[in-house]
Amino acid sequence: MLETFTLPYVQEGLIEILLLSVPAGLIGTWIVLRGLAFYSHAIGTASFPGLVLADGLGFPAALGAFGMAGVFTAVSALLARSRRAAADSVTALALVACLAAGVILASDVFGSGANVDTLLFGSLLAIGSMDLILAGSAAVLAIIATRLFSAHWLAKGFDEDSATGLKSNSAWFDFALLAVVALTVTATLSAVGALLVAALMVIPAATVRMFTRRITTLQAGTVLLVAAQGTIGLWLSVETNAPPGATIAVVSGVVFALALVLRSSKRSRKLGLAAAAIGASLVVAGCGGGGDSDSGTDKVRAVATTTQVADIVRAVGGEDVEVTQILQPNTDPHDYEPRPSDVAAFADAEIVFKSGGHLDEWSEQLVDDSGSSAIVVDLSTNLPVQLGGGAHDHEGEKAHSEEAGHEGEKAHSEEAGHEGEKAHSEEAGDAHEGEETDPHWWHDPVNVSAAAGEVETALIKTDPAGEASFTANTNTFRTEVEALNRAIAKCFDSIPDGQRKLVTDHDALGYFANRYDIEVVGAVIPALTTEAQPSAGDLAELERTIKAENVKAVFPESSYSQKLADAVARDTGATTEYSLYGDTLGPEDSTAATWIGMMQENANSMALGFTGGEQDCNFN
Amino acid sequence: MFDLLSEPLANGTTVRALAEITVLGVVSGAIGCWIVLYKLSYSAESLAHGMLPGLVIAALVGAPLLLGGAVGILIAAVLVVIATRTSTETADTAIAVVITALFGAGILLALSPSSPPGIQDLLFGDLLGVTLTDVAIAGAVSLTVLAALWTLHERLLAVGFDKGSERSIGVSVTSLNLILMGLVAVTILVAVQGLGTLLVAAILVGPAAAARQVTRQIGPMIAISVAVAVAAGIAGIYASYHLRTAAGASVVVALLAFYLLAALAGSLQHRQIPVRR
Repeated sequence: MLETFTLPYVQEGLIEILLLSVPAGLIGTWIVLRGLAFYSHAIGTASFPGLVLADGLGFPAALGAFGMAGVFTAVSALLARSRRAAADSVTALALVACLAAGVILASDVFGSGANVDTLLFGSLLAIGSMDLILAGSAAVLAIIATRLFSAHWLAKGFDEDSATGLKSNSAWFDFALLAVVALTVTATLSAVGALLVAALMVIPAATVRMFTRRITTLQAGTVLLVAAQGTIGLWLSVETNAPPGATIAVVSGVVFALALVLRSSKRSRKLGLAAAAIGASLVVAGCGGGGDSDSGTDKVRAVATTTQVADIVRAVGGEDVEVTQILQPNTDPHDYEPRPSDVAAFADAEIVFKSGGHLDEWSEQLVDDSGSSAIVVDLSTNLPVQLGGGAHDHEGEKAHSEEAGHEGEKAHSEEAGHEGEKAHSEEAGDAHEGEETDPHWWHDPVNVSAAAGEVETALIKTDPAGEASFTANTNTFRTEVEALNRAIAKCFDSIPDGQRKLVTDHDALGYFANRYDIEVVGAVIPALTTEAQPSAGDLAELERTIKAENVKAVFPESSYSQKLADAVARDTGATTEYSLYGDTLGPEDSTAATWIGMMQENANSMALGFTGGEQDCNFN
Repeated sequence: MFDLLSEPLANGTTVRALAEITVLGVVSGAIGCWIVLYKLSYSAESLAHGMLPGLVIAALVGAPLLLGGAVGILIAAVLVVIATRTSTETADTAIAVVITALFGAGILLALSPSSPPGIQDLLFGDLLGVTLTDVAIAGAVSLTVLAALWTLHERLLAVGFDKGSERSIGVSVTSLNLILMGLVAVTILVAVQGLGTLLVAAILVGPAAAARQVTRQIGPMIAISVAVAVAAGIAGIYASYHLRTAAGASVVVALLAFYLLAALAGSLQHRQIPVRR
């Protein structure tokens, strides 16, 4: 039972949670006494524009989060000077101001190319030395601040009416409290994720407060409770293969409900019991889905981050490689929190294949923090075709796809490789300083063929004995890829030029369009962040373009909500019947479950959409 | 000038967005005043996340997602009221406890292989993505919520301003709180589908907080709040059309501008009239 704690990454998580229990207990008490729960939640959420800026200007994400925490504290303190504003509306307004700034930065200024949220990727199972230092500093800061200011904060805590006014020098103690809360919350955030913040900083203190009014007892009790709940939650999560953040949140919620039952009158005791029962059954239900993937064979243990990379590695590795695929079909990387089995796979892997770019940036951290000694192969680094990413303007896109669409390019893969090389260097010349490349490289078969070669080389290095089989597999796969490439090219050749006009949800299919001479007319959403929003003006212009160019279909992407695409389609008479796979392959039982199947589905959908449903690509 | 105003009206998406923000602006402006007076801003911002377990369970058993979301958000609202009433804590803390625990439970439930991906965003929409049906539903729900607020007006006022007198007017504070939270939950459920979480929080709190800066009387406060919500909504969409900025965020910026103006007006007013108390 306790052998869970012998795993190195679990030990680091345990140290982290024990360190965090100190600031969570000391400062959490003040959060509850002074009604700062909303404020602490807002600090975590308001880091969003800081992350967008960090991404756009290229400085560390944690710095962006700390900077935003500072701005947020200052804005709240300023707004709170008005005597008529209640503290909670001020917090809400400061929060929406920060979020709106983040949305505008992400959609209109930087056109962020990925989910910036994952930049501040935090999980108890991926704790690095930086996280431990931050947590330790937060603990020291909390102890010092408590020693210095406790008496002042206490005096104010019971005099609620004057708590919002910033007058006399008590204002400075208030500001000190807000600043300490902001710093500890941000330290917690970059280590364990936004959801856990309240589970550590608010719920335990609220639980203990039901039993004591004495401040020192309250603080000591909360430190102990956070440590206990954190340890139990971490253990439970490893045993049941659930994400630790959510597990700890539910454990502390259930403990709170039980405490409520203990403390309350008979009538409400039933209500409390019911709530606790609901909570407990949710934990049981949620934890039911644990599975194990261990099997002691002498195969090469490989980890692939995304669905399409896993498919390529399976194709090349064949029988001799055991591939653990981390992201599941149709997942938005935005939702990703690692499960213990994922971390175990990284820790155990001999070789890790990543797609590169923004899509799986978190994998670096998982490799480092799981104590893995695996070789990491980034498939995006040596590709023949690389396109610029971020917000495209339509003109440039058009010019580019025409230029890349030379005749004969599709005929021979060797030649196509050369063409690609050329496109690459031209593109690099155009690219602005620091502009990122579009990470969706696998939508071009020429890239996939090259990636298969990279995988082959890396696997041979890891397992020289398997060379013959890896080479044979690679050749078979490449033959299929080339056949597919020719078939798709032939299919689109038969569709008149004027009809090959693509409007998608997001800009995920630039490589496909580039390869098959398809004109990208526009995209509904300007950036890939889920938080980005289109503007009324851009959407209206897109609708005019669609009508003017007589575009017949708008293609939604399978893993996103298609409300916006539907709205555009309604106004223009285009159809949204045909959806595309942008970021992932399809689910296991679908025809798009393999890379080849996914490409065929996309080609079919586009052919049908371009021709008004008259013609698909007829693969068989 | 006329062109600037009329040009956006030729575009269907923009017109539907204007209709949706006007309808939801009226109801949000009105219920927002009670949210500000009852200090429920945190609920307005977070309650939508509490529906996650409901959504996931609905998806797993094959029920309509909207139904799951509705049940989920109402349970969250009831739990918040229970936690506030039975513990010694402020509503603030109670909301943090309930929403965090529910959201965590929702994530654990969503780990089930048969739950569809990205489920927590399925009910969250964008202002530019609304359909005429959305606008009609928003209108119907808004009328219901407004009628309920109208009926409860005196009682909400009595409890909101004077918690001591609850017995003398024969109102159970708990049931009144339950009803108010229920109304807030229903408004949020409808609004997030049309506006998205960010804009919902802003429009529920911003206009009422602005109105509060310039008046203390509830009648004028509601009137000003509704006017601010609708005006900022329309101004934001026009800005989004002409300046090409993100639609929801533009409305939020317009709301904040109104708030800052009101705060300025409020402090000037305050300086001119000597303090009476």
